[in-house]
Amino acid sequence: MTNAMGVLIVEDEMLLAMDIEAMVEDSGHRVLGEAASLKDVQALTNAITPQLAFVDLHLADDSNGLEVSRFIQERWPDALIVFITANVARIPEDFAGAHGVIAKPFSHAGIANAINYLADGVSNPPPTTAQPASFTPSPHLQRRWAANQGVK
Amino acid sequence: MKQRDDWRLTDTLEYEHGRGDPFAAAVRATRMPMVVTDPSLPDNPIVFCNVAFQTLTGYEREEIIGRNCRFLQGPDTDSTTIDRVRAAIKDGRDVDVDLLNYRKDGTTFWNALYLSPVRDTDGVLRFFFASQMDVTERVEAQKAISQQKELVEREVERRTADLRAALDAKTILLHEVDHRVKNNLTMIGSLLRLQVRSIDDPIMTTKLDSMLERVDALAVVHRQLYQSSDISSFDIGSFAENLTRDVVGASGRTDIAISIDSQPLFIDAANASALGLILNEILTNSIKHAYADGRPGILSVLVTNVDDRGVIRLCDDGPGISSTQRTKSIGTSLITRLARQARAEAVWTSNSPGTCVTITFPKREAGK
Repeated sequence: MTNAMGVLIVEDEMLLAMDIEAMVEDSGHRVLGEAASLKDVQALTNAITPQLAFVDLHLADDSNGLEVSRFIQERWPDALIVFITANVARIPEDFAGAHGVIAKPFSHAGIANAINYLADGVSNPPPTTAQPASFTPSPHLQRRWAANQGVK
Repeated sequence: MKQRDDWRLTDTLEYEHGRGDPFAAAVRATRMPMVVTDPSLPDNPIVFCNVAFQTLTGYEREEIIGRNCRFLQGPDTDSTTIDRVRAAIKDGRDVDVDLLNYRKDGTTFWNALYLSPVRDTDGVLRFFFASQMDVTERVEAQKAISQQKELVEREVERRTADLRAALDAKTILLHEVDHRVKNNLTMIGSLLRLQVRSIDDPIMTTKLDSMLERVDALAVVHRQLYQSSDISSFDIGSFAENLTRDVVGASGRTDIAISIDSQPLFIDAANASALGLILNEILTNSIKHAYADGRPGILSVLVTNVDDRGVIRLCDDGPGISSTQRTKSIGTSLITRLARQARAEAVWTSNSPGTCVTITFPKREAGK
């Protein structure tokens, strides 16, 4: 059985943040914090340890998901970072260190399947679940899971 | 010395009609302007010129003999070309150049100059022989052509730049519209999902869920369309595979196995939404009816083509559904109407157990 993950949602469109939050909770995981900008993310308490962060590329206060990705890697190096964006082409080749992307417009199925897949991988890497079509992994993810293999 | 005297002799030939060297007589009479210079004299002066040369340059014989050839040059004569001639004279080589020369009256002409050394039997350089030809027309024509060419090239360049700018603007606009459509579709989906959660009535919830599934299917169509390099065609084959995995995955039904035999199959982008929605209706229907009450089973999808039409067959192994039941649902009427729009055909057959739906539709015309 997969363990519940702590999830961070970084999205400046409140409606989408609410929707993603609901889908995360529906999948049996917990939302630890929400942020609309890099500043918001920096203001989050150090007490939380998210295993997964959903990050939009376009964020409030002229900040962007790439900056947030780098910040999260520093503060929570164990967290998986997944971009959720309508602008997949804008992601640099190295994904700014992030682990994958879900393209907007997302479907309930797309998000739910990606969450299940990632949760499976977090608790027992690499995941036995098939990689869903909605989720495109970056090379960092395979590397992470190869390194964590057998570590519980 | 003897040879040189021969040339001198020809000077008097003119006056001594027909006497002397017949070759010299030919040189005098030819229409081709010619001169002979003597490099052994100071500044390599002209020692002979024919009438054609006088006619070409407009100078009298007395004005020509004894002068260096450079008196024909003027301010617009190309100095690099002159240098080439000088170098050839210095090295005792022949040279072939087009040179801008000036007549006595100041007018210019293009001179195709051919200059060659004349040596005696001991190989000692005695004279330079130079023939000229007025090639002004040819040079002017060439100039006109190259000017024309330059003009055309500049114009082509300008128009190409215009077109490129227009294309860039169009690409940016397309990208912007795509981005907005995606964001709006995402918002519509989120709004519907949030609404579904706030409703307690299970019948309403089911209806909204169906709505949501349709919006999701449209979103997948749009996403796949704009991810491809060619937005005028749509791969319904990989779409069918992705949608099947998405829909079954979303149902959370791990007891429904999927068997997919798919291949890329391209249709006109104009029909993508209609066919995408048809597939969505059939898939969601199967899961709701064929595998109701936790009944496990296998859902199979086959993507193939027969002649020039694409074929997608979806089969479940559920208990089957009567045709009267089927015709009553909004899903079935949606399928029928959308099929007509996309010039597609949906046929239900018994799979014993279960139901198969076969959709045939026009493929994208090759080369279109």
